Amino acid sequence: MEDKKREMLSEAKSAAGGKDKIKKLLGEKIVNWQEKNPKRHYIEIKKEHLRDSAAVLFTELGLRFNIATALDNIKNMEVLYHFSDDTTGVIFSLRVATDRDGGEIPTISDIITGAKWIEREIHELFGITFTGNDNLQRLLLDPAWPEGVYPLRKDYEYGRKEELSEEDEESLRRPNIKIDDEDGDKQCTIIPIGPYHPLQEEPEFFELKVRGEKVVSLNINLGYNHRSIEKISEGKHWDQVTFLVERICGICSCSHPFAYVLAVEDLAGIEIPERAKYIRCVIAELERIHSHLLWLGLAGHFLGYNTVWMWAWKYRETVLDLCEQISGNRNHYAMMKAGGVRRDILNSEIDDMKANLKTIVSKIDMFKGAVLDDPVIHARTKNVGILTKEDAIRYCVTGPTARASGIRQDIRKIDIANSAYGLVDWDMIVLENGDVFDKAVCRVLEMYESVKIINQCFDRLKELNEGNICTEIWDLPAGEGIGRYEAPRGECWHYVKSDGGNTPIRHKIRAPSYMNILSNEVAAVGGIVSDAAITLAAVDPCYCCTERMQAVENGKIKYDWESLIKMSQEKTMKLKAEQK
Amino acid sequence: MPVINKLNILTKSIWVFHFAAAACNNCDIEILDVLTPRFDAERFGIKLIGSIKHADAMLVSGIVTRKTAHMLKDIYAMAPQPLAVVAFGSCASSQGMFKDSCMRTVPVDEIIPVNAYIPGCPPRPEAIIDGVVKVIKKLRGEI
Repeated sequence: MEDKKREMLSEAKSAAGGKDKIKKLLGEKIVNWQEKNPKRHYIEIKKEHLRDSAAVLFTELGLRFNIATALDNIKNMEVLYHFSDDTTGVIFSLRVATDRDGGEIPTISDIITGAKWIEREIHELFGITFTGNDNLQRLLLDPAWPEGVYPLRKDYEYGRKEELSEEDEESLRRPNIKIDDEDGDKQCTIIPIGPYHPLQEEPEFFELKVRGEKVVSLNINLGYNHRSIEKISEGKHWDQVTFLVERICGICSCSHPFAYVLAVEDLAGIEIPERAKYIRCVIAELERIHSHLLWLGLAGHFLGYNTVWMWAWKYRETVLDLCEQISGNRNHYAMMKAGGVRRDILNSEIDDMKANLKTIVSKIDMFKGAVLDDPVIHARTKNVGILTKEDAIRYCVTGPTARASGIRQDIRKIDIANSAYGLVDWDMIVLENGDVFDKAVCRVLEMYESVKIINQCFDRLKELNEGNICTEIWDLPAGEGIGRYEAPRGECWHYVKSDGGNTPIRHKIRAPSYMNILSNEVAAVGGIVSDAAITLAAVDPCYCCTERMQAVENGKIKYDWESLIKMSQEKTMKLKAEQK
Repeated sequence: MPVINKLNILTKSIWVFHFAAAACNNCDIEILDVLTPRFDAERFGIKLIGSIKHADAMLVSGIVTRKTAHMLKDIYAMAPQPLAVVAFGSCASSQGMFKDSCMRTVPVDEIIPVNAYIPGCPPRPEAIIDGVVKVIKKLRGEI
């Protein structure tokens, strides 16, 4: 206990250190410094100082860029750039303002590669131009969307939709990248991966430009799954939003509400009952085990080990049963509520659930032994799709993708408000190589940690009385709140702004895959085609999160997803024969 | 001569093509889940296939967004007839909670003809199997 206190004290000290350092380095550029609480700082600066300030925070101080949030204040536009200190869990947000119509802000995407997509997104959804960013093409909206209509601005009414005529649909059928013969691309071929195939869970569309077997470049197309959840959220009551964000993604259906309620609690500045903290962690960690097992199964399938797929999904059922026992549903648990949790766990059922959880451990042991000691899997995944630590920092990746590249970063260790992660004992899994193998090992080892966390939570729950699971919130003050949670894929980020009314006036969501998928640009490029399937899958992409992608009709299609998987499987067979 | 229900010939070993319009993944995962060992619909010859050209049935999940609407039409046009179409989950059946989204178009049944609806968010595997049984009975003309 003493140790923990000392740790917390030193943490508080270094957080203050970070703050003072930034104050000193930014100096006169700071127009206004608002400290919401010790972990959330909002720094207002002039837009001409943005590039220098971002460079100071990102390059000099080594903070991680989370995301940028644009706000339509009607009188002007505002963009918040959020930076996270991953050693202390403090978030520094740079606030810049610009004109509402024709507003311009200098780009930071050349300093921070991870800001590429968000600048494109803000440009199409809010109409802010980022000067210096030469690729401001549409990311989520389709080409037929009318010019000058920005769906996230306040004057775009809730529930409105744009008509889509037949001719407009025709324009959506055009291929995205072309082979440029004059550019020396003559021997290149474009291989589209996706979007529609049952092995792909969802529409996702990668265009690989290949020369022979080598992947030369990669174009990622998004927006097929964009459902404009941020806009819908502005029309829903604070409590309804928890159900909405659950449906961002079926696999992270606990992580999104978790991050959202943390944001609301950060806004209101409340603390939840201890019992609720443990229940939150139990359901969130169960979700992590089921998500990792699901990925392991699919990864096995991509490599041609269908047995792994069937096994992983079979044992995943036990986890789903536990979720059903606690929440009443196999997926979409609806457990989170601003102020606590919606349902209690019965103390009398805990021993039973612990026994069931124990059966999962022996299965994870089996996967660890049978799968990760397999020489063929070593050959297929070691040194494949490497994401170096430097690139990982540049692309601001999160979750197992970052931890497999040697970055010590886990939100559950640093931002532990209103959860039980600070009250139980567990380890962060960090590996060094950044290849597909390490990403797999990282996930397998994390499942053990999850089991460890759940067991401790169960023990503690038994000591606490049933019943006290929620602090009722009657009024939400005007203000801002940021909540984040370590989803199975990485940091899940929610920002809410309130004007004191019934609905959020802005709700920004950043799913982990948003940062991770972009890193495929470096991880897959330079590899060979038969490795592309597993490399692209290694970040555990989740497009419905990212967006909240069909065919290139240029007659140059050489491989589709199916033959790609077949090639991948054939390579495994060949290696297997060689092993013998 | 009695009218022959063309769909009747589909009632054995249904091969399924899965079209995820803009779903949250949960429907998609429960579809796969029905194929894995606990529920194991593959025993009855039901399996997911990669090409619409081989399909006897199509499952559509999620709301149809602006970017996926024309793909749904294209894929349906490519399919060999007869084809049984199932609107899978609340979003596909009625647009669910995304009925106010600015990216929505229209519910699935306004774009292509739908033979059956399996509601739920997501439908439970038991509900899916029940839906499949009902589709087969309907095709045979039993209900």
